[in-house]
Formats: sequence, structure tokens, C-alpha cells
Amino acid sequence: MTVLSVRNLQVAFGAVAPLSGVSFDVAKGETLGIVGESGSGKSLTAMAVMGLLPLAGGRITAGSITFDGQELTTLTEKAYRRLRGGRIGLITQNPMTSLDPLQCIGPQVDAVAVLHLGMTAREARARTVEILGTLRIPDPATICDRYPHQMSGGMKQRIVIAMALAADPDVLVADEPTTALDVTVQAQIIRLLDDLVKSRDLALILITHDMSVVAQTCDRVVVMYAGRAVEQGPVGDIFDAPQHPYTQALIGCIPRGLDDGARLTGIAGTVPTVLNYPPGCPFHPRCDRAEEVCASIVPELEPNATGAVACHLPGVAP
Amino acid sequence: MTVNLMEVRDLTKRFTAPGGPFRKARVMHAVNGVGFDLARGRTIGVVGESGCGKSTLARLILRLIEPTSGTVRFDGDDLLAKSAGEMRKLRARMQMVFQDPYSAIDPRYTVARAVTEPFVVQGRTPDPGEIEALLTMVGLNPGLASSFPHQISGGQKQRVGIARALALRPSLLVLDEPTASLDVSVQAQIVSLLEDLRSELGLTYLFISHDLSLVRYFCDEILVMYLGRVVEALPDTDRPARHPYTRTLMESTFAPDPAMRRVIAPLEGEVPSPFDLPPGCAFADRCPNADALCRTDPPALERRGGHPVACHHPL
Amino acid sequence: MTSMTGTAARMMSGFGNTSLGRAFGSILGKVAGGFLVLLLLTAIFAPWITPFDYAAQNLMNGNQPPGWPHLLGTDQFGRDVLSRVIYGARTSLSVSATAIAISITVGMTLGAAAGYFGGLFERCVMTVVDLTWSFPDILIALIFVAIIGPGLTSTTFAIAIAYLAQFTRLTRAQIVRLKRETFIEATINLGAKPHHILLRHLLPNAIAPVIVVGMLAIGDGIVLEATLGFFGLGAQPPTPSWGAMMSSGTAQLFLSPWVIIFPGVVVAVTVIMVNLFGDELIRALDIRDRIRGA
Repeated sequence: MTVLSVRNLQVAFGAVAPLSGVSFDVAKGETLGIVGESGSGKSLTAMAVMGLLPLAGGRITAGSITFDGQELTTLTEKAYRRLRGGRIGLITQNPMTSLDPLQCIGPQVDAVAVLHLGMTAREARARTVEILGTLRIPDPATICDRYPHQMSGGMKQRIVIAMALAADPDVLVADEPTTALDVTVQAQIIRLLDDLVKSRDLALILITHDMSVVAQTCDRVVVMYAGRAVEQGPVGDIFDAPQHPYTQALIGCIPRGLDDGARLTGIAGTVPTVLNYPPGCPFHPRCDRAEEVCASIVPELEPNATGAVACHLPGVAP
Repeated sequence: MTVNLMEVRDLTKRFTAPGGPFRKARVMHAVNGVGFDLARGRTIGVVGESGCGKSTLARLILRLIEPTSGTVRFDGDDLLAKSAGEMRKLRARMQMVFQDPYSAIDPRYTVARAVTEPFVVQGRTPDPGEIEALLTMVGLNPGLASSFPHQISGGQKQRVGIARALALRPSLLVLDEPTASLDVSVQAQIVSLLEDLRSELGLTYLFISHDLSLVRYFCDEILVMYLGRVVEALPDTDRPARHPYTRTLMESTFAPDPAMRRVIAPLEGEVPSPFDLPPGCAFADRCPNADALCRTDPPALERRGGHPVACHHPL
Repeated sequence: MTSMTGTAARMMSGFGNTSLGRAFGSILGKVAGGFLVLLLLTAIFAPWITPFDYAAQNLMNGNQPPGWPHLLGTDQFGRDVLSRVIYGARTSLSVSATAIAISITVGMTLGAAAGYFGGLFERCVMTVVDLTWSFPDILIALIFVAIIGPGLTSTTFAIAIAYLAQFTRLTRAQIVRLKRETFIEATINLGAKPHHILLRHLLPNAIAPVIVVGMLAIGDGIVLEATLGFFGLGAQPPTPSWGAMMSSGTAQLFLSPWVIIFPGVVVAVTVIMVNLFGDELIRALDIRDRIRGA
């Protein structure tokens, strides 16, 4: 059952439009991966869903975001505040800065349930201990009295996840949740998120730059480039039969994705920044398939058998 | 001419955090008895998680930090016996590419001036053709010569860093996570450039990374570090790991293939503090096979059927 | 003709791209910068633009209110206030600028050496420098007056010492911060000698905040010079100085207030303009964080 759906989202900061033509759906019990390089607009998409754009000086100029039948783009800040951290949870990239260094862990997690579920302090603490337990944090009752600086990065990220879960959300947005962590810790956090999606019937939007993380956790994938969704579909199709040249090139950039003897080449050129998005298809200057039409007309996201692709010349690599 | 360009023996670095009136001085074991041979033309990868001492090791073998004890021989010469002046000359032959290209170039220097600097420092004036050739060699348009660092992309900055390192024709290049702060598509460009340069110039690399699959792709041999020590030395990249930590590291590395999803065995516990090393094996508290011996006796890096591994009960 | 205007336009746009040019970019920058340029020109060309001799006394013509021919009136000795204010700009600006130049030179050298070499040397330098900070400026001036007698030399040294700590600390903070940058390690690894690192990388990157703080300090130096002059420790008669003028004016405060008001207003306006322009310069150089961090 689709719980959150985004249609043709466009975001502007003053005269600059760093995001346009983004559409996707996410259902309960499903993980949707949004993958892209820096400046692709993946974090902006998360901010838009969380209603946090006004904080950064941006606004939604077109498109819609519907959550459980409710339109979010026209919501007042007050109504959004009830939703945010309540029915839509957020996990940020840097666990080092998302916790208050002057407050113990317990009260920080308790506050979410007190605020959104109207629990008493005692009920909230019991719930906190229970959630910390399900996140496999050893000895949760004593952890509540610790300060963030007394914990490792992986442990702090678990606390951030606990805060996101405290109000029993339907949708969880995780923006690069493991980028700041070591590989062994990353593996544990990813596994934890995977378990939560299944056991709590959550809809998880996982934003990452890492194709391997996508391959291991996601059900569906949106590939973003220069502020646009260029391809989307089930994870199997995206990896086995990618239609967009950028998706194909991105998979070719991962050393472990190569057969023996194959060489890494990378994608020639550089990732464009918001200020120099090329006209037409944003990928055409780096694309070896590009023709004249690609330089002038922006390709729309056209549905295909299992997903959608925004390319004038789609098709599996020759 | 020796076979090994670099021979490192029992290299150790301890940092002391000075005490005060309310605090005892504390000693941190950053690198602990590391030894290896780096043969000419080979590439050794050093892999480990943050805090394992791999970046300190890079700086120790280039003598950017003075070791506490141990020896480093470069091309047969004892590096630690060199005077400051001799060392400055020798640096031309052993260069480094840094992790963060954004701060690796003086913001006030143009690309051309940054690439000219190595010659100036070694008391030479390069002709313009030489600079242009260097820029072309690392895949930079010579038209960028008059640009400042803030005007070029991260990948281009890293190419400038590589051009600076190669300007003096070194034999050894230490690569300290050269692609860690770059985008995936640019990361692959840089790796491919480094591969080309290795074969064109006959360079010897020490490649430091946290990314085991990148190391397996790029290197001939692998050293796995945990808490300042080498726990396993894999002489080739296909050999199965025998140390439980290496095994965990490999299992934690995701395959980019949705058809190959695997269950990840949780690794319990935390890395011990480098200020307070356990008496036995540093990995014992997190190891499923650990017994009483592991908690009391630190295992030495020894050849145990096949290749060197520091474990009492190798897999 | 066209080519000449073209060249001029290019020169102008070249200037507009420098940090100084950008500081002139805003209206505030134009007003403050324009005032300072005007003040500087006035000080330089003082002998040609003053209507009267600043030292010429005419006791019959004392305490004249502003009017013709004495636009700003005369003091008790009948000297022209306008001419003295203009010459006072010479004294104030040159004393303050010389003092700050000495302060920057010594402060940057000490700060750079302390930051670069560190250790015991750094501790000794910083302790001595901090000591100068703990003395009131007036006390430092008094020490110099006691040693070399009152006058502009004492004033200059007193101002230089008063601001020494600020420049030393600022430079040291910059050097310590820069030393941790990767490009320094990279350059050491190329085989560079310490003087190359210090002169080609550390100092050029540290200089911008020091210049701006120096600019602001010239404003403070003018006030300090006026204060010392007011107490009779600075410029000696008949040398005109804004502070000394106000001091001599206090006796006739109610009889002829213009003698004290005009130099006072000029000091206040100059200091405000220096600070405004300094702020524009900070903005143009984009170094707000680095100055605050020192």
C-alpha cells in the first residue's frame, strides 16, 4: 500500500531551481533507495519531504507530495510539525551533530514520545528502554544516563534511529545514515534498518551515494543526476538491465562490480553544480550516446515495463 | 639496486598526551611493531577502519612523523639515519597523494604555480613545456594552468595533487585514501589514472584505504591493520582470509548485486581504546573463536600455513 | 578615445575585482572610503590648503567664533582652528599609522615565529606579549615619557606597544591554524625548507586578517593619540594635534566651545569611518570567522 507519493516535484532557491521532475512512490514494508552523486538533489528531496526547505530558504514551486492521502506541499508549518518526527521520522547523516551534547541519551529519546504520543515521562522512558533493546543496544537502562560523547559513532547512530522510531512513524527518511561510519558498523546499521522495515511494516526512504548499499537493501531505486530523477525501477532491473546511460556508467564505477580483468574507467567530465546545469538532458555532456536532441530537449520520465526512464535513447548498454 | 624499494621493520609510534595537575599522562599506541617489504613495481594495499593507524603508518615511512622505534630502509638506505638536509633531497624520490584534495593545494596558488613548486623547492627552474607535459600526463587541460583551486572541481584538484607528486619523478608514491572524498564517478577516473601512471612510469605504490574491494581491485598485496598492528598480510588478493577480523571486514563489504544479498553476522563490542590496549589479542573481545590464550598472549604475525597472520586460531 | 576609455574601464574593473575594490563596492564603503581618502589628501597637502599659518598667534584676535575669515573660529591665542585641525590630521594620522606599522611588523614576526616553532619559545614570547596587554595604555605611555620625555616619539612607541599583543596573537592563531592544513604537509613532503613554508605559504595566507585588524587599529590609535595629547603626554606646543587642541580648549569650554568641539567631532567621525571601512574590508575579504577566531 503506497503511503507516500511524490509527483513531479520542483524546488527553487530564489532564481535557481536545483530540483525538478522528481516522482516516486513508497509503500509500507518497502525500502526505496534514492541514489546519486553530490549535487544530484537527493538530500534536497529528503528535505522537501520533511518540510524543511523553508529553513534553508528554499520552496516547492511545482508538484505534489501526498502522505496517507494528505497533501503536504500546502500544509502549514504548525501542522507539519505534528507530522515531522511523529509519523515521518528522519535519520541524518552525521550522528555526531544530531544529538545534544549537554543532555543524557534517555531524556533526548523520551522527549519524542512525550511530544508526539502524549506519554508521561515514566511511560516514555519504558518505551525508550524497549526501543533501545530492539536496536540491540546492550544494557539500555544504563545507556539512558550516558552522554553522547561517551559513545562510539555507531552507537550514536543507533540512538538517532531510536529517536526517529520513538513516535512510531509510518515513513522513515534516512539521509546517508552510514556515510560517516566504518564498514563493519555500516553493515550492522544497514542490517538493523532492514529488520525494522520488515518487523514494523515501515516505509523507508534510503538516500545514499553507494550503489552497493542500494543493492543490498532496497526494493525499488530512484537514480538521480543533476537535480532530476533519471531512472527508477525495481532493484533487480536497475542492476541487471539499466536503461539510462548514467545508471549504466555508475554501476561501472564500482570496483567490486567488475568481472576479472575488467577495468574501471569512471565517467569523463565532472558532476555539474546547480549553477551550471547543462541545457537539455543534464547528462548529455558526459554521455557517449548523446545526439543533437539531447543537448536541447529535456527528456521526461517515461514509464516502461517495470519503472521509468528519462532518456531520449534508452536501452541496455551495447 | 635492491629488489625491495622499501623495507620496514618493527615500526612503532607512540603519542603521549601530556598530563596535567589533575590528569596522568597517557600514551597512545598508534602504530605497533609493523613490518613489511615493498618490492619495486608492486602495489601494497593497507586496509583498516578509522583509528587503525594506517594514515600514521604512511607518514612514518615518509618520515613526516618521527617513529618511536623501528627501521625504515628506502632503496637500501636507512631513512631514519638521514640528516634533515639529506632527507629533504631524498623526498623527491618518495611522494604522497593526500586524502583531501580540497586542502592539499595552497588556496593562493594557481595550478601552474602549484605544479612548479616541487621544482622550486628542489632548486630547479622547470621550462614551461615540462609543466604542460605534467598537466597533460594527469589528464588536465593545460588551459587550467592559470586557475585557482576554488575554480576547479574536486577531481581536478586531486589531479593537480598527483601532478605535484609526480613532478620530481619519484620511485615511491604513497596514496592516502586518494579517492575517499570524491564522487563515485570521479573516484573511478582517478583510480584508472593511477593505474595508467603505474605502468607508464614503473611506480611503486603504497595504497591506503578503508575500502577493501577497492584495495582488492587495485593492489597486488594487502596488509590488514587493526588497532595499530598488522593482523594479516595477504600476498595476493584472491586468497581467503584466515584472520577472523579480515573475515568480518570482507563480510561487511557489500556486493553491488541485489542477487547476492547476504546475512551479515553482527560484530559485537567496540574497538578497544588505543590508550589502553588489552594484554592479549586486541580483537579477542569481539572474536567468536577467542579463548583464554587470546586474552593473555598477543599473537605474533607469523606464517601459519600459507601466509602471515597474527592469530592463535586462524580460520 | 574609445581605446582610452576601454583601458580605463578595464583598469576600473580590475580594481573592482581586488579586495580593496570590493570594499568600495557598497554605498557604505564608498562613503567611508571616500572620507578616508579625502582625509589622507588633506593631511598630505596641509601646507597648501590651510588658509592661515597654524602657529601664527594674534592675541588681539583670540576666541573669535566661527565666521569669516576664520571659518571655525580662533583659539585663545588667536590661532585659526581650521588650519590647526587640518595640521592635526597630519599629526594624528602619521603617529597612528607609524605606530601601527611598527606594531604589525614586530607583532607578525613574533607571532609567526611563535606559531611556527611552538614549544618553549612560543610560551616565552606569548607570556611577554600578554604582559604588555595587561598594562593600561596610559601607563605604557607614561613609562616612555619617563624614559625619553613627552612628545610624538613616546606617543608612537606607546601606541605600538599597546597593539603589539593583538597582532602577535592574531598572527600566531593564523599560523597555528594553517600549519594543520594538508598543503603544508604536502609542501614539507616535497622537501621544502622551513623558510619556504613560512614565507611562501604561511605568511601570505595569514596576512589578510592582520591588515584588516591593522586598519581598524589605526582608528583606535587616533583615539589613543588624542587621549595622550589631551593629557599633555603627546604632541608638544605649538605642534597641533587633535587631542592637544581639545586639552587647551577645556580652559575656555564655555567661552569658546568651538575650540574643543571641532577637533572632537573630527576624531569621532574619523574613527567611525575607519571602522565602517574596516567592516567593509572584512566582508570583501570574507575573513569574518578568522578574525573572530583569533
